[in-house]
Amino acid sequence: MRRHLLAATGLCFTVLIAAAPAIAHHSFAAEYDRTKPIKFSGKVTKVEWMNPHIYFYVDVKDEATGKITNWACEGAAPNGLYRNGWRKESLKAGDTVSVDGWRAKDGSNLMNAGSVILPDGRKVFAGSADDGGPAAR
Amino acid sequence: MVTASLALFFALQTGVGSPPDLNGFWSNQYTPNLAQALGHEPPYTPYGLERWKNVDTKDDPTGKCLPVGPSRAFTAPFPFQAVQSPKMMAFLFEYQTIYRMVYLDGRPHPADIMDYPEFMGHSIGHWEDDTLVIDTIGIHERSWLDTAGHEHSGQLHLIERIQKIDDNHLKYTVTYDDPVFFTEPWSITRTFTRGKSTDRVMTYSCEENNKDVEHLQSNKKSQ
Repeated sequence: MRRHLLAATGLCFTVLIAAAPAIAHHSFAAEYDRTKPIKFSGKVTKVEWMNPHIYFYVDVKDEATGKITNWACEGAAPNGLYRNGWRKESLKAGDTVSVDGWRAKDGSNLMNAGSVILPDGRKVFAGSADDGGPAAR
Repeated sequence: MVTASLALFFALQTGVGSPPDLNGFWSNQYTPNLAQALGHEPPYTPYGLERWKNVDTKDDPTGKCLPVGPSRAFTAPFPFQAVQSPKMMAFLFEYQTIYRMVYLDGRPHPADIMDYPEFMGHSIGHWEDDTLVIDTIGIHERSWLDTAGHEHSGQLHLIERIQKIDDNHLKYTVTYDDPVFFTEPWSITRTFTRGKSTDRVMTYSCEENNKDVEHLQSNKKSQ
């Protein structure tokens, strides 16, 4: 079952990356590190449906220490998300989500969200695209 | 006489001789890296190659909310609205909420445009049968050609050809001619796709919540 869940998650992840609205506002590699993937689950504390990217914030609990860290997750531009059928309410404070993405290069608690999945398996907005620029080589 | 009149009548009825109607909402084909679309890196001059090797992605002008430039406006993952009249074609881009005006009235480029470059350049155009040909110079050298960081000089000369393939597709071919950065002109072709009838270009405000700028990192090891 767990294997199936992982496989399904991987499939969702792949589909989202392939079809996701892309970053154009800046080079992905200027802000995020493809070699530092990160995955966590937690409770959404806030959603910012604004240009040039949406942000949502997730409280992530360290099971060993009990410490909670609030992560900022960057997504695509709201206009494109809207045209693809997403709405502000698609993800809201209080939702529990599983997020896959990449860490910011500056080491802050910021990540670019590649996939966002609700407990029932529904995928919600996110997106990024690599661009092959010098920093990615 | 009758034959000529009939020919004129049918030409007017069918639009023969008139340029195609490009009005509408169109989606770009996202092209973050022109070299990937070209299949290889552009034919750099030594100077152009040096600039590409040393471009710093933290300096991305649009990351700082500067205008997108004429090349990137047509390759970004955002739509645009084409507004056409006999003497002008306007492209209203969602990305950075900016526009390009293409003068079709026969005027030349301003004599001093190279001394007063603009981020979107100055564009004049004409129809060659069913194809709109756009000639753009005076493009501010701070703009980038794409998200990956391909740069250009103030000598950049863009030649764009837009051909209506069918009601829902435009063939877009852009030629980059910049003797400072490239040894010869080079071109890529993309496809624009018509949106749904309910689609609309929306306001994009780079400044509304731009949190990226404080996180952008230099890719230069020496810094």
